[in-house]
Amino acid sequence: MTDARNLTPDDRASLAGEFVLGLLDGEEQELARSLLVTDGAFRLEVARWSGRLSPLLDEVDEVRPPEPLWGRISERISEPLRPSAEIHQLRRKVTVWRGVSGAAMAMAASLALFLVIQPRTVAPPAPAPVREQPAAPLVAKIGTEDAPMAMVATWDSANRRLMVAAAAATPAGPEHSHELWVIPTDGTPRSLGIMPDQPTKRMAIGEPVARQIHEGATLAVSLEPRGGSTTGLPTGPVIASGKLESA
Amino acid sequence: MSAAPAPNALELVPIMQAVAAGDRKALADLYGRTSAKLYGICIRLLGSEPEAEDVLQDVYLTVWNKAGSFDGNKASPITWLAVLARNKAIDRLRRQTAPTTTFDDAPDLADDAPSALEVLQQDEDQKRLNGCLDELDDQQRDSIRSAFLDGATYPQLAERERVPLGTMKSWIRRGLLRLRGCLER
Repeated sequence: MTDARNLTPDDRASLAGEFVLGLLDGEEQELARSLLVTDGAFRLEVARWSGRLSPLLDEVDEVRPPEPLWGRISERISEPLRPSAEIHQLRRKVTVWRGVSGAAMAMAASLALFLVIQPRTVAPPAPAPVREQPAAPLVAKIGTEDAPMAMVATWDSANRRLMVAAAAATPAGPEHSHELWVIPTDGTPRSLGIMPDQPTKRMAIGEPVARQIHEGATLAVSLEPRGGSTTGLPTGPVIASGKLESA
Repeated sequence: MSAAPAPNALELVPIMQAVAAGDRKALADLYGRTSAKLYGICIRLLGSEPEAEDVLQDVYLTVWNKAGSFDGNKASPITWLAVLARNKAIDRLRRQTAPTTTFDDAPDLADDAPSALEVLQQDEDQKRLNGCLDELDDQQRDSIRSAFLDGATYPQLAERERVPLGTMKSWIRRGLLRLRGCLER
């Protein structure tokens, strides 16, 4: 029973039940774990078994934990910057691609001033001709798992300049880069460039991509191989995101 | 915090929401009301106070970070918390013999469907569950209960009932399917 394709519905149901009971080992455990990651229906079955059996926990006697334990927990949660449920939800919604999540913490943050973005491709050096009415700048609060407002991006559409102020300089490590994307309402991410480890002032955005930056679009940061995604689309996990809104 | 009565689902919902919003006092309140229940679960499964304390700490840190995954429309807060505590205790118990089995780790999922903890539902009450467990053979019932509440493994259950491992596995599997059938009637 160790190949998911050979499982009958009853096999799946009992596998999920055994998983919840904590009885599996070896290949069956591996199978359940992989289904848990890849198969929403199996997760639902696991959740249902947990719910079915959970009333058994009502009969477990209460035991007061040792007094100092709360102090230890309290200390841990007093550390600044916690993941936010809202960001967690948002992150799931904008995650149009998937990857390992461990790297999310790489984005974590303490403090610094302006982190800046340089365009990956050579940006047009000249200021853009102003074609539209100067619009009020758009602002996106870009949150990470650790900090709902890890970065604030301000978009000046008249001059096609994006300024990103980060709570911290956030080097991605020697093998990775952080890449900034805009996800307009059509849902297709466009690269805005690699976020440098060294701060500069602001980034200029080319005309075609600038047209995709509008109110309601999502800005997202993904973790990519050094130098950025080579596919034109994000390949790594989204580690921070936020929506552009009127300032 | 006075001595907490049995946690009331309705009282806990706004507290969980406040925890999700990052309110530290709410977490303290939640701890005051629920830690004895959850510690009891950890102690029963792990049998060791230091291990149970570690797991309990991990549970509340997870709650602090993941309270947003709790859906008050699906499960009561105490059910959600109790299942989380039991899962973590089981993971700790199995640590030396098998990879961990947590299912609260939403970010690792490879598709967009919710994590198991997000869709946890308690649709049974204790009486109904016990009624259906009573329809099983004694060995099936006792073995399922012992696995869930005491963390017994297949080899331990087989030894206890003096049957071959394969027999115990098929008892449990058939028992689970019968149980599901009864609960869905």
